[in-house]
Amino acid sequence: MGDSGKKNARILVFSTEKISDPAIDMAGLLKLHYPPTVFTIQVPCSSGVKPKWIMLAFEKGFDGVFIAADGSDCPYGESCTEKTGQIVTRTHEMMKVKSIEPARLRMAAICSVCSEAFVKQMKTFNEKLLKMQYA
Amino acid sequence: MNNKLGVYICHCGGNISDYVDVAKVKQSVAAEEEVFLAKTTMFACSDSTQKEMIEDIVANELDGVVVASCSPKLHLLTFRAVAERAGLNKYNYVHANIREQASWAHSDDKSGATAKAINIVKAAIKKVRFAEPLTPIRIPTINSVAVVGGGLAGMRAALELSSLGTRVYLIEREHFVGGRVSQWDSLFTTGETGKELITRLYNELTEQKNITLLTGAEVTGFSGSIGDFSLKVRITPRYISGKCNPGELKKAIEVCPVGVADDFNFGLTVRKAIYHNFPGEYPQAPVVDLSNCNRCGACEKICGNIDFSQKEEVIEIRTGSILVATGFDPYTPADGEFGYRTCDNVVTLPQFKRLIDMGEKMLIFKGREIRNIAYIYCVGSRQAEGENKYCSRYCCTSTIYESITVKKKFGNIHNFHFTRGIRTYGKQEILYDESSRQGDIYLQSYEDDPPAVTGRNGKAVVTINDILTGKRELEVEADLVVLVTGMVPRNDNPVGSLFKLPKGRDRFFNEIHMKLRPVETVIDGITIAGACQGPKNIMESVNSALSAAVKSYSYVSKAEMELEPVVALIDRDLCSWCGACTSACPFEAIRKENESGKPVAAINNSVCKGCGMCLPVCPVNAIDLITYSDREIESMIDALA
Amino acid sequence: MGEKMKEASYDVLVIGGGIAGGEAALNLANNGLTVLIVEKDLSVGGKMILLSKVFPTLDCSACITTPKISEIARHRNITIFTGSEVRKIRKKNENDFEADLIRHPRYVDAEKCTGCQLCEEACPVVVPDGYQFNLVGRKAAFIPFSIANPRAAAIDIESCTLCGACEKACPPGCIDFTQEPEEYHIKVRSVIIATGFRLFDPLLIPRYGYGLHKNIITSMQMERQLAPTRPFNTILRPGDGKVPCKIAYVLCSGSRDASVGNPVCSQICCMYSIKQAQLLMGALPMADVTIYYLNIRSFGKGFEEFYEQAKGMGVSFVKGKIGKISENPNGDLLLRYEDINENRVKEKVHDMVVLSVGIVANRDVSSFFGEGLLKLDPYNFVSQPDQLLRPAKTSIDGVFVAGTASGPMDIPDSILSSGSASAETISYIIGRNE
Repeated sequence: MGDSGKKNARILVFSTEKISDPAIDMAGLLKLHYPPTVFTIQVPCSSGVKPKWIMLAFEKGFDGVFIAADGSDCPYGESCTEKTGQIVTRTHEMMKVKSIEPARLRMAAICSVCSEAFVKQMKTFNEKLLKMQYA
Repeated sequence: MNNKLGVYICHCGGNISDYVDVAKVKQSVAAEEEVFLAKTTMFACSDSTQKEMIEDIVANELDGVVVASCSPKLHLLTFRAVAERAGLNKYNYVHANIREQASWAHSDDKSGATAKAINIVKAAIKKVRFAEPLTPIRIPTINSVAVVGGGLAGMRAALELSSLGTRVYLIEREHFVGGRVSQWDSLFTTGETGKELITRLYNELTEQKNITLLTGAEVTGFSGSIGDFSLKVRITPRYISGKCNPGELKKAIEVCPVGVADDFNFGLTVRKAIYHNFPGEYPQAPVVDLSNCNRCGACEKICGNIDFSQKEEVIEIRTGSILVATGFDPYTPADGEFGYRTCDNVVTLPQFKRLIDMGEKMLIFKGREIRNIAYIYCVGSRQAEGENKYCSRYCCTSTIYESITVKKKFGNIHNFHFTRGIRTYGKQEILYDESSRQGDIYLQSYEDDPPAVTGRNGKAVVTINDILTGKRELEVEADLVVLVTGMVPRNDNPVGSLFKLPKGRDRFFNEIHMKLRPVETVIDGITIAGACQGPKNIMESVNSALSAAVKSYSYVSKAEMELEPVVALIDRDLCSWCGACTSACPFEAIRKENESGKPVAAINNSVCKGCGMCLPVCPVNAIDLITYSDREIESMIDALA
Repeated sequence: MGEKMKEASYDVLVIGGGIAGGEAALNLANNGLTVLIVEKDLSVGGKMILLSKVFPTLDCSACITTPKISEIARHRNITIFTGSEVRKIRKKNENDFEADLIRHPRYVDAEKCTGCQLCEEACPVVVPDGYQFNLVGRKAAFIPFSIANPRAAAIDIESCTLCGACEKACPPGCIDFTQEPEEYHIKVRSVIIATGFRLFDPLLIPRYGYGLHKNIITSMQMERQLAPTRPFNTILRPGDGKVPCKIAYVLCSGSRDASVGNPVCSQICCMYSIKQAQLLMGALPMADVTIYYLNIRSFGKGFEEFYEQAKGMGVSFVKGKIGKISENPNGDLLLRYEDINENRVKEKVHDMVVLSVGIVANRDVSSFFGEGLLKLDPYNFVSQPDQLLRPAKTSIDGVFVAGTASGPMDIPDSILSSGSASAETISYIIGRNE
């Protein structure tokens, strides 16, 4: 079986119930593997993620935070991508103040069937965080 | 705060327990102080385990329950119902997904999957600690359904809804109902023609008092939510008023100088700017196609009922549910694809059907009699290179039926089928037998070696390395090549983006779950039917239309509907009204109110969708989303870290 | 169900408690109609509850079926008679059917049974387990299968020696050999036929040697070997319990074959075989799986992609007609077939052969109504006189058909056909109310 001794970055993913979480589920269904140190918290919409939650995640020891955004598929409105982007921008500023590298927060739109894209994102984010010597 | 919790960890018959050490998960979470009992179970969803949970909850007076099993998309509702049956509020149940997001995702790493499952279950435990009993929001529902699309599926659904006692708005973008089926002649199974089917449906429709048919009507605006949707519908007039004198009308059409490719015949013929769709069209009234009319006025002079003063209007419809049945487009081959548009004698399957219908004694194309016909299958479907990976399902049977029909109708015709393997599934197989028995020739190739079409002496030559004869290179000189084109999603279908309907990998509208909820979409209150969801034949479309009808009916038939109480909650002490939340809300659910002299934000619970977009914009963090409150999310983050 | 209530009335009688009947019953019950489901088996859930995973999503079948089944079982508008059969249905007038039913004794008080299985342990009689398609044995006192609903024991009285061991072992004392068949006379306003299908009997193709060669099994037997409630914990060939490593699938076993009386295509075998092949590649990573086919019919939503996925995983597809299957002394099987791509006859050895058996009509239905009243199609499925516009309508007004009783279908199509039948039934009843 897998090499569980290998160190992986701890990543918190904010997924969305109707769009990106189904894609993450499907990644499991298709047995597309990604590091088991990736955890998700589901929210209705990616533009409802509070910056203070992200900051808390870093404080509690997560190496990276990833917002699996609804993008243009958002069932709540077209403004979603823009609003999620603003959350990232504001959080980046808060991270700067605390001297947390901005690269540790990422966002990408993950559509409801974008399982492969999600897995790819997780793998590259993990690699990147490992290279930055987090984790 | 709930601190007497029951936790159940499901084996899922091996789906979880093959990769996640469920006993270890149980052991670790049982140690959490709030956990009163923790158990593993073979199938958490089985009736016997559900009974056991109820007994546990009642006997031990548990105040919160977590089940760690498959995705909440499958079983959240199942276990909420269990909680309810045990007398617990259903929101005191929290679901932990350790199958799709642990055992399956990390089947390559058992210890990693187990460690992750433990964290996931612990986070669920933290969340359920803060769960509060909630009662659903009740809203009145409008007992009506708007059916978008007046083809076969939409008409059939409208009729059924009407006989179930629901008011129906049937909205058709074209000026005539019947969609694709009205374009087909004789149909497989019953031998009825498409027009006959549409005639039957139309006659029944017009007898129903509770159906409003809108033609030339396009949905341009959409708001509201399940129980009370509001649609803006733009209605283009026919520019003809009242009943015309048939003789005058005929002349008026004759004098029209404009020629437009006739979509009804897939461009094989030319129609005027004032036109009938086909003899016996529904509604039986011609229309002036203003986008192509040059306003010469010739028709007006002959027929007094032609009225260019009619204006476009926009009406508003309020409805409890929407049933989308917008159909499909036939695939249009690229120029040069199997000689399409580059070789003279190449048509698509829909064009061929129109040719058969229009032909009288002989099958004629471009003035020449057709004797030898080559059919090339899977054009635009099962593409190795293109994006249409799917099989269009109806075309094998349809083509074989047409090849039998064309022989019966005109005689002296030779059919050559260039297939990728015939898919006459079910009873349709009998047709394939019949066609083989009548002497049709079947050849086959695979996707990596398709047949080729070239022109030679005014004929089209189709060559193939036929695998049925040991890959012999064979060629057929055909008078006509029929490209068996499949179904593609409608190119011009603005309701998809207007309603924000999700699409599948095949770009057709997607249902929530193929087997559990096959006609529902993620937008509550909107159902889908017919070929807008994926290729279907007529019977399959009707079955899906009736399934969608009964689902839409169950949304609206009761005067009231229950909505999830997951809405935003304003802390009125903290709020000092800046308006940021109002501008962030996509649903106009937040308004300003006075709280003893102080302006504060207030949420309209029946409009709030619980998206949470207002949460991050509040400068004083005065907004929580129920079931996603700060303390819930933050304690989950803590448990996962 | 304590006292013997011999008469009752419901809005709708649903015959068959499989996925089609269950879905129809739920639709009706959720819209306020009372429903009686009559199921001849000891559990509801039909064939679907016995499957492994379902194509093309690979959802576990039990995970989809069991919540539906529990919802049906506890719905206050639905009554279920398992182990029961329809004897006769008469149409009295427009809005009124009378049905004679018989409930066979279970010899166990299902309400009191806790499903502890102590009776199974105590019972000395072993017979082939029909729910495991005879791959293993069961006792004469038995719980049908672990996720059966109701999950209660039953006594197979045909095999029982009346030794009384189970009675002594049963903690709640719910075994009752005095139970007798109960006859019911019920009134309903409408009927839905959801009697499903039967599997083709491969003994009808002697040249394949099913029943003779031990390592030939049917696709349903393979389905059980792959299911979560599987009899063994791995895949075994029945002849010698060896784990197979060269598995062949023979498609169209009893379909598209007029010589065995079934000229139609069964519509599901290609896909379930491709699914089983994918599951086998997962369960036995070293195994070779070959599918012998005439045409692959992956026509539904996501099916073609699923077929491509199987090719990508390394499943071999051979376009070929199987002539004869013979057995080697070591139990391996020699397949003689015409390789269509190579245009010649070839032979290949496999250590296990799965016959992808097709769907045939369940002919029980023809006896329910008076002679010839319920019309059947040439293949003995329930005839659909208005197939294009009203597919659920049968030759009897007020009687509708759902699922595979009218012809081969996969699960999504069965469920849509149930939706269709329930819509027609509700409209029919509303129409008669006016």
